Amino acid sequence: MTMEKKKTVIEVRDVSKTFYNREGDHLVVDHLNFNVYENEFVVLFGPGQCGKTTVLNLIAGLELPTGGEVVVNGEKVVGPSPSRGMVYQTTNLFMWYNVMKNVEFGPCVRGVKKAERRKKAQYYIDLVGLTGFEKHFPVKLSGGMQQRVGIARAYCNEPDIICMDEPFGHLDAQTRYLMEEEVDRISASEKRTVVFVTNNAEEAIYLADRIILLHNCPTSVHREYLVNLPRPRNYVAPEFLELREQITKDMDDTIG
Amino acid sequence: MKVAASIKNFLLSLAGFAAILLIWQLGVSFTSVGNLLPSPWAVAVRFVTMCTNTVGRKYTLPMHLLVSLRRVLIGFGLSAASGIVIGIAMGRSDLIRAIVRPLFELVRPIPGVAWIPMAIVWFGIGETAKIFIIFIGGFVNIVVNTFSGSRQVDENILNAAYMLGANKVQAFFKIVIPSCVPYIFSGLQVGLSTSWMAVLAAEMVSATEGVGWIITAGQQNADMPQILAGIIAIAVTGLALASLMRLLERVLCRWRVRGS
Repeated sequence: MTMEKKKTVIEVRDVSKTFYNREGDHLVVDHLNFNVYENEFVVLFGPGQCGKTTVLNLIAGLELPTGGEVVVNGEKVVGPSPSRGMVYQTTNLFMWYNVMKNVEFGPCVRGVKKAERRKKAQYYIDLVGLTGFEKHFPVKLSGGMQQRVGIARAYCNEPDIICMDEPFGHLDAQTRYLMEEEVDRISASEKRTVVFVTNNAEEAIYLADRIILLHNCPTSVHREYLVNLPRPRNYVAPEFLELREQITKDMDDTIG
Repeated sequence: MKVAASIKNFLLSLAGFAAILLIWQLGVSFTSVGNLLPSPWAVAVRFVTMCTNTVGRKYTLPMHLLVSLRRVLIGFGLSAASGIVIGIAMGRSDLIRAIVRPLFELVRPIPGVAWIPMAIVWFGIGETAKIFIIFIGGFVNIVVNTFSGSRQVDENILNAAYMLGANKVQAFFKIVIPSCVPYIFSGLQVGLSTSWMAVLAAEMVSATEGVGWIITAGQQNADMPQILAGIIAIAVTGLALASLMRLLERVLCRWRVRGS
């Protein structure tokens, strides 16, 4: 319906990925097809080890497909690019830089003038709620705060697409809920196309415009769900719980 | 609590020193050890006179120390500069690693002092030969540590930098080098102490000044207080060098410290 009018940002066209190693060939992604539209928040959802991260790496350009192609804004993905930002489960912060220098890293290496990139970085540091921690080194921050730095670093580079690879997988449940609220708030104020990987159904429904349920390895699309609940979503609303039950049941089918 | 504990530890270490001095003094006073060892008091007195009067032709003890330190700083500086460059090159380039590593592994087990005869043949008995020995002494440890550090750069973090738009040069200076720094420092730490040992070896073989010479001169005159005073000067200076290096590391590796 409304999707028809939206601009397509990511096209995953018949993508396959085989890893070759000594034990033999390992087919991880099998003829995968889906599109992501502008400013859409898409969650790639599936059981652990199902190949979700590989799909994300293919979109990011950290891996290249062995069959088919990934097209972003009309151009074929052939490697990493600053137009695609990444937020990682293990944060991958630059431990030798303070919060400010981590967040401004992208603009800095792309040659943005200091005054301008400082201003920009400060905006995103404020946005993720780290005001006052600009001079702190990551080692002194909690897991949740480190992940906030990772999110600010990705947004500050102003990419077209932000890929998030189970960013809250290592956090405790309490912090996880808090960070989900934060991502919901940030993505509402900073409109971007987001591809978010998780194996947590609750997290998927809380955040997604659309959920793509992936088959267990080798990965292909099992089913899609449009989530039309009003935001911020209520984890215990009947519609939320109903969808959660449906998705969990469908996921069990992909394994069984 | 913390202050009380550190005062307690300080007093305990003083007690350790006092016990050794007491045993030493008693041994010298009441047993035949006295024929082989001067008393601690005699060594202390000699230490002070060596600081005020010349030892040998023109230098006092602190001047001899400065001569040795100058040699170490030049030799160690050269080994640090070249060792870091070679270590990183070996770590980050498959081609250089394939060529250099077997050569390096062959040279590595040779103790620095084994080069003394060769150094004298090549450079004579002047400053160059000594600096060469010191250079060899520090070089190996610095290369080994820098190499292992540059092999352990986290590829995911490198990829994160590339994803943000860094080119190879930026990734090298902003990611590879900083993540090697802690390893480089442990190499420099060990390298500096082996350089300090090497200067003594070089000076004991051929020199007319320096703390190494003080010890050999003491041996030639059967002057045990001079030998022991020289050894104490060496110990204190070596400790000071290591502490300076640790201080520098604390400043440059602040980002690794968890505490507030």
